Amino acid sequence: MRSRRIRYHALAIGLALTLAGAIGDLLFAQGGTPITVLSREGRRTLPAVEVQNRQMVGLDDLGNLFQLQIREDTAAHAVTATYKNQTIVLTPDQSLVSASGRLVSLPSPLVRRSNRWLVPVEFINRALAPIYDVKLDFRADSRLLVVGDLRVPRLTTQYDDTPSSLRVTFEITPRFNATVTQEQNRLLVSVDADALDASLTAPPQQGLLGALRLADANTIQMDLGQRFSSFRTLPATSRGAASVITVELLAAAATESTTGPAATPPPAATASPVPATPLPVFVGAARPTLRTIVIDPGHGGEDTGVKGPAGASEKELTMAIARRLKGAIEGRLGMRVLLTHEGDNRIGADARAALANNNKADLFISLHANGSPRPATRGATIFTLSLDRVGEDARRQSQADSAVLPVFGGGSREVSLVEWELAQAKHLDGSNAFAGIVEERMRAMGGLTSVALQRVPMRDLAGTNMPAVLIELGYLSNPDDEKLLTSAEFQNGIAVALTDAIATFKDHVEGTPDAPPPAP
Amino acid sequence: MKYRLKYQSRTFGLYIGLATVLGVGLIVLLVMGPRWLATVPQAEIATTATAPAAEARKIRARLFYVDEQGTGLTGVEREVLYGEGTIEQAKRIVEAQIAAPPEPLASAIPPGTALRRVFFTKAGDMYVDLSPELRQNHPGGTTNEILTVYAIVSVLTTNLPAVTGVQILIDGKEVDTLAGHLDLRRPIERDPKWITN
Repeated sequence: MRSRRIRYHALAIGLALTLAGAIGDLLFAQGGTPITVLSREGRRTLPAVEVQNRQMVGLDDLGNLFQLQIREDTAAHAVTATYKNQTIVLTPDQSLVSASGRLVSLPSPLVRRSNRWLVPVEFINRALAPIYDVKLDFRADSRLLVVGDLRVPRLTTQYDDTPSSLRVTFEITPRFNATVTQEQNRLLVSVDADALDASLTAPPQQGLLGALRLADANTIQMDLGQRFSSFRTLPATSRGAASVITVELLAAAATESTTGPAATPPPAATASPVPATPLPVFVGAARPTLRTIVIDPGHGGEDTGVKGPAGASEKELTMAIARRLKGAIEGRLGMRVLLTHEGDNRIGADARAALANNNKADLFISLHANGSPRPATRGATIFTLSLDRVGEDARRQSQADSAVLPVFGGGSREVSLVEWELAQAKHLDGSNAFAGIVEERMRAMGGLTSVALQRVPMRDLAGTNMPAVLIELGYLSNPDDEKLLTSAEFQNGIAVALTDAIATFKDHVEGTPDAPPPAP
Repeated sequence: MKYRLKYQSRTFGLYIGLATVLGVGLIVLLVMGPRWLATVPQAEIATTATAPAAEARKIRARLFYVDEQGTGLTGVEREVLYGEGTIEQAKRIVEAQIAAPPEPLASAIPPGTALRRVFFTKAGDMYVDLSPELRQNHPGGTTNEILTVYAIVSVLTTNLPAVTGVQILIDGKEVDTLAGHLDLRRPIERDPKWITN
């Protein structure tokens, strides 16, 4: 009888302890803010719990994520996490852990909750990162764990509002390029990075900007408000290690009084109204416009181009400037801009021309850096195509040859017949006019010792069926030019100068009354 | 008598054998001859026709090197081996042009480049086949490429009046460009703007 009573007591105490443990877990282990894990494979979520006001993660979750072998050594009263041949030893109730023989301090010891071992989030950077063979970067403020060599800059926002405008400043650390484009009732700020560690604050409610949010890994979406009329992107600047991108949103009343390069609405918004009657047969060229620009970053892949004495490579330089230029044109002129290649890959001359021709580009700009046998040679050169005997014949022929072809949906249109290899022949006047404008703008920007114009049988230009130039921005073989070309100031300056040149050429092409005369 | 018969049959056999060999040779020559004539470049024909004794003779030729500014070519009179005929002389001139020059002259031709063959057409176009080192050792850049190509174009068109255009081949093949800029798909004519003196 007595033994039965003792059994009841023992059972009751056991139940009470279990209940107390569960209540304790509930009290002390609350749901924490999950951590976003960014890697080349994509995004994953690492759950976190809050124990006594401290953010902790499960060792089992870390084990699954990073292929750690977690073992509990009851004899040694320790828990081990092994990755390949390296082991982290943790001891309950001790804040010191051994990471591959090196003692590391954590803000709190390992704890056990609901049959799981939990470690403070600082464990990732302090103990796990040193033994892991891939870079781990846990950012506590943004709850972001970056795995591998991803480019994930921090992005913060600032607002500066007036009754008629709102300036939104994005500070990106470290420096990255960004482009601003408009898509219907939103602006997209795309940063040239793998992802963003963004800290976005709510904008002032004045009817210009509704909200700010992440559209995807590297793009901020700005939802435009009712009062929004147009926007402009100010030239990118730098502040310490950060690049600063400022977008100014203008209210309807402010647009007309604003001077400066206000962005035009997107082409779709300004397209001609659709005629009510069916389209007639149209023969002959449409009114010339400048809407699509193709930028060709010279070289790529195993074709590195010129190498500077300090190690700068032409292919990297041209890509960096091409991206800046793309952002500047899109932001200021609202044009469609395509690069002939986005990554580090080698493509042939015909593929570059084909991309421009197939996208019906209105202008083709190939960016290069020069090299000379004399290290003292400096300066920029703008090249257009020169024609040989065959090319001159093609030029004469291109003015005459055309065919009227049927158009889908009825009707017909006149199509010029151009030999692919010499498509550039009939655009030489436009190319030379644009080259002249570029020369003028590049001289005005300063920094370059000289700017010259040349006509040469250039392979990359031969197949382009639109005005086209090849710009040698300077001599990478010269140490001073190399320093200049690789500086952010010059790269921003050249992006602005070329955007100015495109704006002038657009006026020239589209027949704006005050457009300058074409260059000789 | 027996010996004579034996002798006659032996002689007859010899004639028959000789006639067979000549006949087969003639047929092969008739069938393959035109093909050989069509494929054997003029350069090779000219090479075999050259008398070794003529090699010692020299002529004065204008060779082209990088100018002081590094953006053009300067002409320098130098002695070059004499070659019999346009093709053979072209070979000697190109060999002199691609050889490393004495200081302070600077060559626009990458080191290690060798001449493989030279072809010449009736239209006045000369095809200069150079070794792969021309591309492999090239430092890149439009100006470097212009100087390399126009050094070869200029040296041939200046010294050999019959040559009006020059196309560069690399390792026996036509090439798009040398370093990604200049269009080398067709013969290039002399362009005086690259020659500064």
